[in-house]
Amino acid sequence: MCGRRSANTEPLPAMALATKPLRWLVGAGLLLAFDLAGRSLSAAFALPVPGPVLGMLLLLLSLMLYGGVPRGLAEVAGQLLRFLVLILLPATVGIYFLRDLSGGDWVALVIAMVVGTLISFTLTGILLNRLIRRVGDTQGENIRVD
Amino acid sequence: MWTEWQRWLAQLHQVASDFLAPLGPAHPLVILALNLICFWVGVKIYRRLGNPLLHPVVGASLLVFAGLVLLSVDFASYQRGSGLLNLLLGPAVVALAIPLKQNLAVVRKVGWPLMLGLMVGAVLAPLVAVVIALLLGGSKTVLIALTTKSVTTPVALALAQEMHGIQSLAAGVVAFTGIVGAVCGPGLLRWLKITDERVVGFSMGINAHAIGTVRALEISALCGAFSALAMGLCGALTALLLPLFVTT
Repeated sequence: MCGRRSANTEPLPAMALATKPLRWLVGAGLLLAFDLAGRSLSAAFALPVPGPVLGMLLLLLSLMLYGGVPRGLAEVAGQLLRFLVLILLPATVGIYFLRDLSGGDWVALVIAMVVGTLISFTLTGILLNRLIRRVGDTQGENIRVD
Repeated sequence: MWTEWQRWLAQLHQVASDFLAPLGPAHPLVILALNLICFWVGVKIYRRLGNPLLHPVVGASLLVFAGLVLLSVDFASYQRGSGLLNLLLGPAVVALAIPLKQNLAVVRKVGWPLMLGLMVGAVLAPLVAVVIALLLGGSKTVLIALTTKSVTTPVALALAQEMHGIQSLAAGVVAFTGIVGAVCGPGLLRWLKITDERVVGFSMGINAHAIGTVRALEISALCGAFSALAMGLCGALTALLLPLFVTT
């Protein structure tokens, strides 16, 4: 079917001719490469920033310099983000396996998480709302306090 | 550069060789099927009922827990069985750069207030929780676990390791915080008459990291982009600042 050689010296026509699986492979490869680049950078300079976060910032910077998002990368990333809940599932399940805490610690932990999150959520929401309105940007907001 | 590649290859090799192990309840294929089925059922239930309390993060993880109890598999074996999904954690974090880039123009327009809000939020979120726990007499373990509560899981795990905290506790706290934020957040802001999707998204990202971002992406792409931006920046900022404060 696709007897065309994918190896091409010119990058742009090759991208245009690339079939879907190849495009996806390039996208996935880019994500992995930036993940590993971030990890390497973090390890090499003993940075406290976790590698994948650094990889994300590097990719963002590269995309800004490139001036667009390669189609394969956008597609793979979209799929990956659709399944974020699934990817995070193993870590999430850990909450049901915490048994090495005293009763008082549990109470403090749960109250701090629930109340603390609601308080900080409220405060950041109000603060951001104030700050964003001060910029004088009215797009997307129709807030009326009667 | 090479050591990280080698580590990744070793991890890949580990996952592959786990697949060749004799079939049992903790076999990666069983765990993978369990994860996929629970995720699918969790999404179906959520779409059918539309109740934020039954967000797939809650529903699917409860189903997985029930499955593990039925199969009598412990958490360590489950983690090992989920190796394939854990391999995707890093690339998934990197993938967050794409919604960021695609909405960069909108983000730029409201640059400085967001950065200011981010700084305050990134400090406030763990501080409020730690103070509450301190008032209730929580132990040091609890306090350390709470410092990473609003940071996305992979970042929190790395930080827990750095601060000699309990990783599973950190992961649990992060997940619980995310669920609280994702479930109550949008409603809470609506109740406060804050309807600007940019503010909602940014608050979600600061306070409820990846789980909040998943929820924000359901609201709109713009909301999701702001959430992803806040989550990424908040994670980076916390990862930079926290080890400086907690060096005991």
